[in-house]
Formats: sequence, structure tokens, C-alpha cells
Amino acid sequence: MSLKIVVCIKQVPVSNNLKIDPITKNLIRSGESGVMNPYDKNAIEAALRLKDEWGGEVILLSMGPADFEMTLRQGMAMGCDDAILLSSRKFGGADTLATGYVLAQAIKKLGKVDLVLLGRQSVDADTSQVGPIVSEFLGWPQITFVSELTGHAKKGMTATRLLENMQQKIEFQLPAVVTVRSEMNEPRYPTPRNIQQSYKKNIRIWDENSLSVDPNRIGLKGSPTVVRSVWAPIKEAKHTIYLKGTPDEAVRELLIQMRASNLL
Amino acid sequence: MSIELTQSQVMLHQMVVDFTDKEVKPLDRLIDKERNYPAELWDKMIDNGFLGLTIPEEYGGAGFDVIASSQTIYDFAVRNASMAFTLEGHYKSVDQVLNYATDELKEKYLPQANHRIFGFSSTEPQGGSNVMGHTAKAVKEDDKWILNGNKTMITNGGLAQVYCVLLKTSPTELSCFLVDEDMPGFKHGKREKFIGMNGTPVGEIFMENIVVSEDHLLGKIGQGVEIGDNAHYDARISMGAIAAGITEHALTIAVDYAKQREVKGAPITQLYSIQEKITEIAIAKENTQLLYQEAARLKVAGKSYAKVATMAKSYGSRASYAAADHALQVLGGYGYSQEYPVEHLIRDARALQLAEGSLEKMMIEIAKEVIDEREESI
Repeated sequence: MSLKIVVCIKQVPVSNNLKIDPITKNLIRSGESGVMNPYDKNAIEAALRLKDEWGGEVILLSMGPADFEMTLRQGMAMGCDDAILLSSRKFGGADTLATGYVLAQAIKKLGKVDLVLLGRQSVDADTSQVGPIVSEFLGWPQITFVSELTGHAKKGMTATRLLENMQQKIEFQLPAVVTVRSEMNEPRYPTPRNIQQSYKKNIRIWDENSLSVDPNRIGLKGSPTVVRSVWAPIKEAKHTIYLKGTPDEAVRELLIQMRASNLL
Repeated sequence: MSIELTQSQVMLHQMVVDFTDKEVKPLDRLIDKERNYPAELWDKMIDNGFLGLTIPEEYGGAGFDVIASSQTIYDFAVRNASMAFTLEGHYKSVDQVLNYATDELKEKYLPQANHRIFGFSSTEPQGGSNVMGHTAKAVKEDDKWILNGNKTMITNGGLAQVYCVLLKTSPTELSCFLVDEDMPGFKHGKREKFIGMNGTPVGEIFMENIVVSEDHLLGKIGQGVEIGDNAHYDARISMGAIAAGITEHALTIAVDYAKQREVKGAPITQLYSIQEKITEIAIAKENTQLLYQEAARLKVAGKSYAKVATMAKSYGSRASYAAADHALQVLGGYGYSQEYPVEHLIRDARALQLAEGSLEKMMIEIAKEVIDEREESI
């Protein structure tokens, strides 16, 4: 059986370059130089390995402004077959609920999808909510924080969830939504040949008119989350203390400093 | 960076930086010490398509141009100059197959160049630059060529499996043949014990009555000098990129060290004598980069690039050597120690004044071009 796998990916800001809209408290995404959310690379790798085993296709799906295209092409350069960008001003300001809703509507439009993979969370917002929300809108089982995925695409699969102090094995049938931990695999590099070919592929752009969406559930309007306060991290130079004297004196001073900083 | 990279070149650059940071940088000093590449590193190089970077897509490669390949060589050289040197030897050889081989030979060998290393072989034990003084020859018998002789100082010699070989086809003619290590009569010889670029083998090959068909001739009879020159000019862009990479490596080491080394309670970056050295290294890097990128840009634009490529190698080879020396001085006694990563940069950079034509030959060639240009304008 061949699998139709959708991987939802996100472009995140380079972590030392965050800007926040003072009104909406959302990240300002336009014009920034972004990178693919690191956990999404693990989700892509998982999808490509399943494709290698079972055949089929891997479709990338992302929601964001036009400059997310580079991240989608990077995913195709890793070996994904196709990419769709959900992009419209109407989608702007979406929280995790509105994002999950639009992603789910796009997945429904793709027809028979067997598996949806996402990174366990994005490194900008760190909510881990989008995967579960997509699964709820699709009405499919969700298995989150997965570190191992085995089994038979048709007879049933087994996922190992890696949680704080325990592992949990879950058997499930497709279709399903799985969020992937970095422990699952080592993502492959995009290859030079695939990079070239990714720029010859067309990225489909879908807006609210391309999807069957309720206008009240998308963008800022469809986002019940209220962010009271958020701030960009303050860049501070690392404070370095050079300890002087003999090794014994330096160790004594180190202990004093560590106690003073509540590290001991 | 002077050249505006295309989007695909930017993505390639990011990929090469990720790959080299993770897979190559940690092995830099091990490669120097072991005088070899770990086998698994080469497997990764092949699996990730680096050998096919410049090979057209119809032959299974990526089809990137010399702007991208020189950027890639630079990115490797920042982490390990030998890896960059090995890629340089491969790319220039593949380029000659691409430009001069028959369609049949391209069909057969270019797909192989995605996973087999190619080398270019010109120098003989009795001389390098005086190609017409060579003795290795090809003699035609019926519709076959019989190849005999030995070649030395081959970049990737022993590591490469397919060679472009310059051979005398008459007392006044040099021609280029494609020779495969699998051919009866082919033997690899000894590897040179060089002081630097220790990952890259430089060695010799022996040809004893190797029989090849007519289509193993690259270009036409007597075109060997032209092909050799083209290979050298291509290589000199890459040598500029390697020089800039070594210089950037030296800059990083010098700045990192100077920031954390204190004298009288303040980092030595505040000392003019250190700032001067860091400045010299930084200028050398920018200058070298501008030269090799300009040569690459000219080549892509279909313009004459030989002079600027030769300048990139000539200037870059001296500037990178001086930069590594400056970095050593910034580190003081530690810089002279084999426990620190600077000394091998000096040994690596020194190779650039010899490989792909001696520094003296570069000077003669640049002078001739510059003087001829002025005569034409009078």
C-alpha cells in the first residue's frame, strides 16, 4: 500500500532576531529571515522513511506569508514531492486554533490522506497545540511526542511516546495525526540535486477562497487566544568572570560566586 | 560577499554550512593527523551529492555553476582545507570531460562522476609546467590508442578512480585521454609525503600498454595544452576559494582567542598590535574572496576569466599563508603548538603557492596578460 502523507511545517524566526507587534502581541513575520522549525525536519524525515518503505507521496503544508516559500522548497530539497502554502491576509493573526482549523481544512481538500505528521512543537511559540488541534478538526486519533514509529501501514502501526518520566506504546490505525520528537531520527540534508529540482517545482498557494472555511474561524477573528503581554528577549552580553590566583584560591572564589548566584 | 547568490545557491550554501559544521569541522585536526579522510565521511560526501555538484542534471548531477561550486569549496575550506582541495581536483577534471568528451563518453562517465572521484594528470617526474617536455605518450594502432608512461603530483592521486591524462601524441602535440583505474595496464604509484593538506592524497599513476578506443580522447588530437590550461584556470578559481577559506578559518581562531585571552585584566583585542594582525587577516580574506568570486562571475558570464582566476590564486596563496602566520602570532606560543589548530593552517596554505602552477608561473602569466592588454590599448 502506498501512503499519502502530509507534513505540516512552519518557518520560525532565527532565534536571536525576534520582533513582536506591540498591538497584536504576535510575532512580526514579514521581512524576517526565517528557518524551518527544527522539529519539522524530524517530521519530514519520518515521512520520507515511511515513503521509502511503503511508497506513496509526501506533501508539505504550511501557513504563512509568501516568504515561507523558501522553507517549503527546503523541505522539497530533502525529498518531499509537493508543497502547498496557505497564504492570505485573512489568515493573518491566527492563533493555534485558527491555524489548526485552516490546516485541517486544507488536509480535507487533499482527499484521502493516510497520515499527518508535525514536529512536536514550534520553537517560537512552543505550544505543542497545533498537532492535537488538527487531529480534532479531522476527527482522527492523535499521538503526540513520538520518538519511534513502526508497524504496518495497513495492519496497524505502533508509536512510542517519549514523555518526561515514562514511555508509552500506542497501537493505532491510519489515518492519524502524529507529532514527532527529535529523538526519532536524524534528518537528512537537502542534496544539491534536490535543491535544484525544488526550484523547478510549483508551490501551490491556497487562500480562503481555495478552501471550504468559515470566515469567522480564520485569522484574528477566529482566534480566541488573548495575549496579555509578551516581549522580545533582551540581548545581554554574557557576563564572564575571570577568577584569579592559585587554583585553590580560584576554586574558593568559584564556590562563593556559585553560592551567591544560588547555584549551590 | 560581493556576488548576489540565486535562491537555490543560497539554499545550497546553507546546506553546505550545515553539513560541514556537523560532519567536517569536528574532524579537521583528525584528518590532518591521520593523513586521510574517514571512510564514512566520503560515503556521506557521495550520498549527499557533492561529487555531482557541477554535473548537469541529465547526467544525474545538480548542474550548479562555478559561482556555486567555488562558494561550496570556500565553505568546506573554512572547516577543512583538504576536503576543499579534493573537491577542487574533482570538479576541474569533471569540467574537462563535460567540455571535451564525446557524447558517448559523457553518457558513460559523467553519471559515474557522481560517485567516483576524478583527477587531472599532467606533471611528470622530470617536470611540471613544461608540458611539451613530457615523455608519457599515446600511440595509435589501427583504431585504438596505446598509452604508456607515468605521471606524478596528481591531486587525489590514488583516491581518484578516473583520470584525464595529458599525453604526447607526436613530438609537438599533446592530447588528453580519459583513463580508468579499471583498465588493464593501469597502476597507482606512491603517495607524496607532504607537510600539509594532509587529507588530500597527491600521488602518481603508471600506464603500461593501456589500450583505449578513439572516444577516450578528450577534444581533438593536439588539444591537450588547451585542455590543460582550462583545467588550470578552473582550478585557480577554486584555489582562490580555498585560500579565502583558510584565511577565514585563521581569522576565527585569532579573534576567538584574542577575545578570551587577557593581559592586565583586559582582553588582548584591545591591543593595537593584535588589532593590526586581525585587520590584516580580515582584509586578506575579503580581497581573496572578491578575486575568486569575480573570476567565477566572469566565467559564468562567458567572459575571459583566466587573468583574474590566476590573480585569485596568486594573491590568495600568499595572503592565506601570511594570514595563518598572523593568527599564529596572535596565539603566541600556543599558536606554535601542535595542540592548537593554527599551525596546520600554515602548512595547508603553503600548498597553494605550488599546486595548480607555481607562484612564479602565476606572476609570469599575470604580467604577460597585463602588459599585452596595455600594448593593445596603445
